[in-house]
Amino acid sequence: MLAMRHISKVFRTDLIETHALRDFSLGVDAGEFVAVTGPSGSGKTTFLNVAGLLETFDTGAYLLDGVDISGLSDDERSRLRNEKIGFIFQSFNLIPDLDIFDNVDVPLRYRRMPAAERRQRIDSALDIVGLKSRAHHLPSQLSGGQQQRVAIARAIAGDPKFLLADEPTGNLDSLMARQVMDLLEQINEMGTTIVLVTHDPELARRAQRNVQVVDGQISDYRPFAAQAAPAMAGALA
Amino acid sequence: MFRDIRPVLSALLRNRTGAVLVGLQVAIALAVLVNAVYIVKQRVDLIGRPTGLDVGNIFVLSSAGFTQDHDRYATMREDLAWLRSLPDVRAATSTNAIPLSGGGSSTGIATTPEASSEQTVPMNYFQVDEDGLEALGVTLAAGRNFRADEILPPDLNSDRAIPQVIITKALARSLFRTDDAVGKVVYDAFGRPTTVIGVIEHMQGSWLSWDKVDHVALVPEVASWSDNAYLVRTRPGTRAAVMRQAEEHLAASNTTRLIKFVRPLDYYRDRSYLSDRNMAVFLVTVTVLLAGVTALGIFALATFNVNVRTRQVGTRRAVGARRADIVRYFLVENWLVTTAGVVLGCALALAAGYQLSRQFELPRLDLYYLTGGVLALWLLGLAAAWQPARRAAKISPSMATRTI
Amino acid sequence: MLGYYVKLAARSLRRNPGITSLMVLAIALGISVCVMMLTVYHGMSSNPIWWKNDRLYAVTLDSWDVQEPADDEHPDLPPWQLTYNDAAAVAASTIPLHQVRMVKTTAVLVPEDVAAGAQPERVMLRVTSADFFTMFDTPFLYGGGWQAAADAGPEPVIVLSREMNEKFFAGENSVGRILRWNDRAFRVTGVLDDWHPSPKFYDLNNGGFDDPEDAYVPFGWIAALELRSMGNTNCWKPESRNSYADFLNSECVWIQSWVELPDAAARASMQAFLDAYVADQRKAGRFARPDNNRLTPVDQWLADNRVVRDDNRLLVALAFAFLAVCLLNTVGLLLAKFLGNASVTGIRRALGASRRQVFLQHLTEAGLLAAAGALGGLVLAALGLLGLRALYATGSAGFRNIMHVDGWSLVMTVMLAVFAALAAGLYPAWRVGRLAPAVYLKTQ
Repeated sequence: MLAMRHISKVFRTDLIETHALRDFSLGVDAGEFVAVTGPSGSGKTTFLNVAGLLETFDTGAYLLDGVDISGLSDDERSRLRNEKIGFIFQSFNLIPDLDIFDNVDVPLRYRRMPAAERRQRIDSALDIVGLKSRAHHLPSQLSGGQQQRVAIARAIAGDPKFLLADEPTGNLDSLMARQVMDLLEQINEMGTTIVLVTHDPELARRAQRNVQVVDGQISDYRPFAAQAAPAMAGALA
Repeated sequence: MFRDIRPVLSALLRNRTGAVLVGLQVAIALAVLVNAVYIVKQRVDLIGRPTGLDVGNIFVLSSAGFTQDHDRYATMREDLAWLRSLPDVRAATSTNAIPLSGGGSSTGIATTPEASSEQTVPMNYFQVDEDGLEALGVTLAAGRNFRADEILPPDLNSDRAIPQVIITKALARSLFRTDDAVGKVVYDAFGRPTTVIGVIEHMQGSWLSWDKVDHVALVPEVASWSDNAYLVRTRPGTRAAVMRQAEEHLAASNTTRLIKFVRPLDYYRDRSYLSDRNMAVFLVTVTVLLAGVTALGIFALATFNVNVRTRQVGTRRAVGARRADIVRYFLVENWLVTTAGVVLGCALALAAGYQLSRQFELPRLDLYYLTGGVLALWLLGLAAAWQPARRAAKISPSMATRTI
Repeated sequence: MLGYYVKLAARSLRRNPGITSLMVLAIALGISVCVMMLTVYHGMSSNPIWWKNDRLYAVTLDSWDVQEPADDEHPDLPPWQLTYNDAAAVAASTIPLHQVRMVKTTAVLVPEDVAAGAQPERVMLRVTSADFFTMFDTPFLYGGGWQAAADAGPEPVIVLSREMNEKFFAGENSVGRILRWNDRAFRVTGVLDDWHPSPKFYDLNNGGFDDPEDAYVPFGWIAALELRSMGNTNCWKPESRNSYADFLNSECVWIQSWVELPDAAARASMQAFLDAYVADQRKAGRFARPDNNRLTPVDQWLADNRVVRDDNRLLVALAFAFLAVCLLNTVGLLLAKFLGNASVTGIRRALGASRRQVFLQHLTEAGLLAAAGALGGLVLAALGLLGLRALYATGSAGFRNIMHVDGWSLVMTVMLAVFAALAAGLYPAWRVGRLAPAVYLKTQ
C-alpha cells in the first residue's frame, strides 16, 4: 500500500540545515494498522506530511498504492490525496462555519461527484460514526469526541485506501479517546489501511505493528512492547 | 524615534504586500488631492473675480411684442419711465445684451484709423442710455457720464459712427497703455473716430470665460438688436419685490406684448459659472471620498498588524515596554508606510500636474500645494492609525504566555 | 463546482459582515463614481444620429479674413456658419439628396382663439428648409413637414414640438389649426413626437445640449420678415451696412448648412461643387484664405465643436484614480482576510483541493463582492446622477437628460464589476492558492 525507500527531507534556512528525514524506509501492507511513534522533533510530523503528500521529499522513492509519487505535479498530488488518503488530525480541523454534513462533504466536492452519490456517502459515513442525527449541527455544538468522529466520517466518506491519523486522541479525554480508537479499529477491520502517528505508547499498542522514528530514521527500539495500560477510568466522571 | 525605525522596518518588510498596497493608495490619493485642490482653487478664484457690477441689486426684464401695431420703442419709453418712477428703483436702462450672461456683441477698435487686425483690440459693447452707468452700478474712475441728448435713437440696420464711448480701465490699458484715456480718440473698423468721455474702474462683460472679459465699452444708443431688455438696479433688499411689481404692472400695461422673463442678474452669473462651480463640487466630493477610503485602508492595515502581533505586543509589554512605546511603535510603522507612499505620490502628483498642464492647458502645479498635500496625508495617516495603536497599547502583558 | 464556490463565498462573506461591508462599500463607491462620470461622458460624446453618420455633413467654407483665422482656438477650421449668400449657393446644388439651411431665432406665437385659454407664448423658432425633418429623422406625432415649394414662397406653415402643441392645443391633433406670428396666420402642418437629440448635433454653436426648438417655419421667412439669428452672428469685414439687404449680402456668417450625401461619389462631387464655387467667388475678390471647404460628418462635427469638454475627460481620469484606490483597498482587505483564514484553506488542500480549485474558490468570493459592489455602485450612481441633475438644475435640459442610468451605464457597470473582481481578487486568490497546505494544519 505504502512503500517509502531511502526518503530524505532537509529543511534549510540561512543558518542551519535540519535533516527531518534521512534514509527513511517504511513499507505498509494493505489492510495493516501501523503506529508510527517517536518523541517530538524526531521527524514524525515530516513523515506524516510526506506520507500524506502534503510535502515533497528531496531524495528517495515513495509508492502509494502502486503510484510513484516523485515527479507528480501539485494537482496530481491533490487528486491522490483526495481519492486515496483520509486525514484525521489531533485538532480535528473541522471547518467551523460549515455544518457536519457540509464538513464531510468537503473532500467529495473536489471529486466532482453527483449530488445524490455525495449525499448517500455522507449519510453512510455519518452512520458509521454514529452522528447521522447531528448532520446539521455546527462543529462548535459538538463535544471534542464527536468532532473527531465527524473528522473520521470526513476521512472515510471518500472511501480512501488509507487513513493517516495524527494524534487523533491528543485533544480528547480517555473515554472519548477509546471510542475514537474503537472506531479506527472498526474501520481497519473493514479493510482500510491505517497509519497512526502518535507519541503515546499506550495508543500505539492498539496497532498491529509499531514503528519508531528517531532522528528522522526508523529505529528498532521498542520500549513499550509489553507494558500494561495505566488505569484511566477515574478520569471519566 | 529613530531607534524604533529599524525593528519596525524589518517587521514591515516581512508583511510587504499590505504595506505596498496602502503605500500605493497613499500615493494615488496624494496625486489626486494635490491636483484636485489646485484646480478647485483656480475655479474658486475664477468665480470669485469681482464683476464691477452691483450684481445683488440688478435684475433684467425682457419683453416682446406680438402684433404688427406693437411699437417696441414707445413701449420701451413708457416702461423705463414707469420703472424709474418707482421709489425703490435707483436706475433703469435699455440694453442690447445682459452682462455675465454669455450673450453679447463685440467689435474691434484701434487707436489709429488705418489699423491692421493685429492692432485692433476687441471690445465687448453694451448699448445703454444716460442711466446705464447707474443701472450697472459700475464706478466711473474718470471723465463723465452720457448726457440724455447724446443717446442715439435706435437704428437696427445701419452701421453708423458713435461719437462718444465710455470704456473700462482694462480696455484703456490695452488701447493706450494707460488708464488715462479721457479725451482720447479710438477708431472703428471704418476708421471713424469716437471720443472716450469716461473711464470705468472695472466691469465684466458678456463672456466670463473670455480672457478679455473686462474689455468693455458702454455705447450711448437705444438698443435695437433683439427684443426689448432692461437692466434695473434697485435699492438694497427691495429687488425681489420690485421684480414682482414690475412683472405684474408691465404685463397689464400693454396687451400687445409678452413679458419674456424677469430674472436677477445673479441668475446669469451663476449659469455662466455653472460648470466651473460643479467641477469644483465634483472634485471636492471625490477627493473627500478618496481621503476617506485611503484612511480606511491605513486603518485596516494598522488593525491587521496589531491583530497578528497581539502576542508579540504582549511579549514586549512583559519585558517592560510602556504603553507609549507600543503606541509609538505602531505609529512609526504606519508613518513609514505613509511616507513611502507620499514620496511616490509626490512623483505621481508632479507627473499628473505636468500632464494636466500639457493636455488641458492648466497652469503648472504650484509646489505649495504639494507641501500641503504631504502634510495632510501624514496627518491623515496618523489619525487613521491612532485607534489601532491605542488598542495595541491596551494589550495585556499576559498575552505573552497565553496560547491562542 | 461554481455553485459550490458561490455557496462557500457567500458563507465566508457573511462570516465577517464588517469587513465585507467595507469592501462592498469601497467597490460600490469606486464603481459608482466611474459609472457616473462615464455615463455623462458617453452622453456627451455619443452621436445621436449615428445611423446617418456617413450621410450627413455640415458644410463650412473659409470665407474669413485673410489676416486671421475665424476661431483663434481652431486656426485650421473655417467659420462654423456660412454667409447668407454662400448658404444660398450651397442650397442651389442638386447633388445632395437632401439639404437644409437654417437659423435659430425667437418669436411670440399667439393662438387664434385666445379666449379658449391658451396664451401667447414666447418660442424658440428654427427657420429651416423643408428637408430638415427627413434629413434628421424627426418623428411626427401628427401630420408632417412642408413641401419644398413652401420654403421659397414662403408659405405661412409651421411645425410644432410636442411640448408646444400641449401648450397651444392641449395635445390635440392641431394639423390645419392656426397660430399667429405678428398678426400673420401660420397653419400647423405637423406636430413632432418627443425628439431630444443630445448633443444637439445640428446646432452646436448655440449650446450643445439645448432643447430642440419649439417650432419650425420655412427658411424663406428669414428674408421676408428680416429675421436675425438668436445664435452667433460673426462678422469680420468692415462693410457699409445700411439696410437689411446689406446685412444679407455681407460677409457675416450666421446660417447653418447641412447636406445629405448618400454615397462617396455624391460626397466627392459635392466637394468638387464647393471647390468650384469658391474658385468662382475668388474672381470676385472673396475667399482670400487658402481653400478650406469642408463637408464634416456628424462624428467629426461633434469632435471639432469640442462638445466633450476637457473637464469631462479630467473627471473620467479622476474617477478611475478613485476606483484604483478603492480596489487597492479591497485587495489589502481581501488578502488579509484570505491569509487570516489560511488554516481552513490548509484543511481543504489536505482533503484534496487543488491549487486551482482553491484559487477559483477565492476568486469567486472576489467576484461575489464585486457583484454586490456593482449593485450598490449602480444604486449610488443613480443617486449621484440625481444629485448631478440638481447641480445642473439651471443648466440646459438636454444636458440634464443625459444624466440618468441608461443601458450603456448598465453595460459599463457590468464591465467595471468584472474588472473590479479580477483586479481585487486575482492577487489575493493567487497568494492563497500558493500556500503550502502542511504549514497551516498544525498551527491550531
